[in-house]
Amino acid sequence: MELSPVALDQNFSGAADDFPALLRRKGMLSPAAIVDPIGHAARPNQTAWEPTKATTILAFKFSGGVLVAGDRRATSGNTVVYDRADKVLEIDRHSIMAIAGVPATAWEMARVLEHSFQYFRRTQLQEMSVDGKVRALSKLLRDNFGFVMQGVGMVVPIFATYDSNSKPEARLYFYDAMGAQFEVADYAATGSGSPAVRGILYYENNWGEKPLQKLSEDEAVSIALRSLDTAAESDTATGGVDRSGKIYPLIKIVSGEGITTLPDRKIAAVFKETVA
Amino acid sequence: MIEEPYRWVEAIANRREYIETQLASGSPIAALGYRDGVLFLTLGGSRQKIFEVYDRIAMGAIGHPGDIERLRMAAIELASTEGFTRSAADVSLRRLVHYSLSPVMKSAFEQVYGPPYLARMLFAEVGVRSEQDLFLRVEYDGEIATNGATFGQARQDFAALSGTRQSREMMESFLKAEHAPDASFEVALKAALDAWAIGHMALRTDDAKELPDSAAIRKYRQEQLASTGIEAGILERDPNRAIRYRILLDKEVRALIND
Repeated sequence: MELSPVALDQNFSGAADDFPALLRRKGMLSPAAIVDPIGHAARPNQTAWEPTKATTILAFKFSGGVLVAGDRRATSGNTVVYDRADKVLEIDRHSIMAIAGVPATAWEMARVLEHSFQYFRRTQLQEMSVDGKVRALSKLLRDNFGFVMQGVGMVVPIFATYDSNSKPEARLYFYDAMGAQFEVADYAATGSGSPAVRGILYYENNWGEKPLQKLSEDEAVSIALRSLDTAAESDTATGGVDRSGKIYPLIKIVSGEGITTLPDRKIAAVFKETVA
Repeated sequence: MIEEPYRWVEAIANRREYIETQLASGSPIAALGYRDGVLFLTLGGSRQKIFEVYDRIAMGAIGHPGDIERLRMAAIELASTEGFTRSAADVSLRRLVHYSLSPVMKSAFEQVYGPPYLARMLFAEVGVRSEQDLFLRVEYDGEIATNGATFGQARQDFAALSGTRQSREMMESFLKAEHAPDASFEVALKAALDAWAIGHMALRTDDAKELPDSAAIRKYRQEQLASTGIEAGILERDPNRAIRYRILLDKEVRALIND
């Protein structure tokens, strides 16, 4: 552990830095990637290296909070790398980040984000606001954009959080790879399988039995499973539900009480009854 | 002035006296390990004195707010970067204090042309079991005192911080007699309040030698509670909690004291 006492010099900057800046000052986080589209274009024949990618995540608001779900497949080109990838990550008691894109970058982002929120709480003696949290993720994506331009490290996340001090209490955002954040009223989906999912969620929300926000937990889980299964039907990069291997999507729910991860057995029951 | 060694010693002695005078009115802080965690408690005070540092680490401090803030920030920075690079379990309070804070405070204190840190701090790290609770007191000159666990010293599951040495020692001798590490939260809370009362009473007299009797402590405690607020925080021992540090609100604590 190289903790230099120099950190306490008279010019010590305290909380002026956010956490990523602190990490960079100490050389613990790579500097923001430089956007270099020309360099990329000049090397069209470089060895095609395909980063591992994760795909298809969705989130929507329902009567019990926000449901966030992701399939479990990670791919590299045509190869399935892993069939138990965790794309729905808890950041703090009331925030979930779900990722589509390169897990290596996304998990690092999640880690930075988790530590950022805690660092803020400890130094500032208050919780970071929802806006602050949303912006923190946006900044990490922006810093990563150089890598995206080089064809590696693209991440397109969804961020769901619950704040009892704001209206509405459940907040849901999706991002583009450059860091623009879009708050949505009802649902969001990103990743290669997302067009199908968006179609389903739009349809359900407008002409389904009831709007998404009125769904019970079981109904919400059912729609999440059907959506991912539909996405997997036409998108090879999406795992959907592995019927023979009994691998189910990962589903988490964030509400005023915090985050709950639905156990496989519960998902399996809903799947058996309404999907299979 | 300080070219000559004698002058340097004199300057340091003056500085020590000055700092001791400045800290002398600091309201005591008691930290006690109990069955389910570590409790920090103090009374009064117009500003916050008990803080979360990291996952399993909290601190209490008396002194100048600016100095406390700088040391607090440094401690959080060091713990956060270490915890990020490795894991929360790898952040060590011992190392944080011995390697990072103490040398800095010592050199600031001894460089007589620069300002010293006007602060006295008490750190606690909650363990999986109460035998593993670690308490470290750091003085303005970088001096460190621990709760034992070293050769030849009985281990204590508590620590105290106060404006004067006399006050602190009174609190320690009280807690040594009254506190057991397997105490429930309610019992630990009572002990902490009494220890605070004893420490605060000792700040008002120059020659308190004997512990006041329990009726006097109780009376003093009630008087003080009527006019000042309680500041308290706990570090939960349960490793499954996402956030181990929790601020206890004044009314939450008062509900448990039935005087």
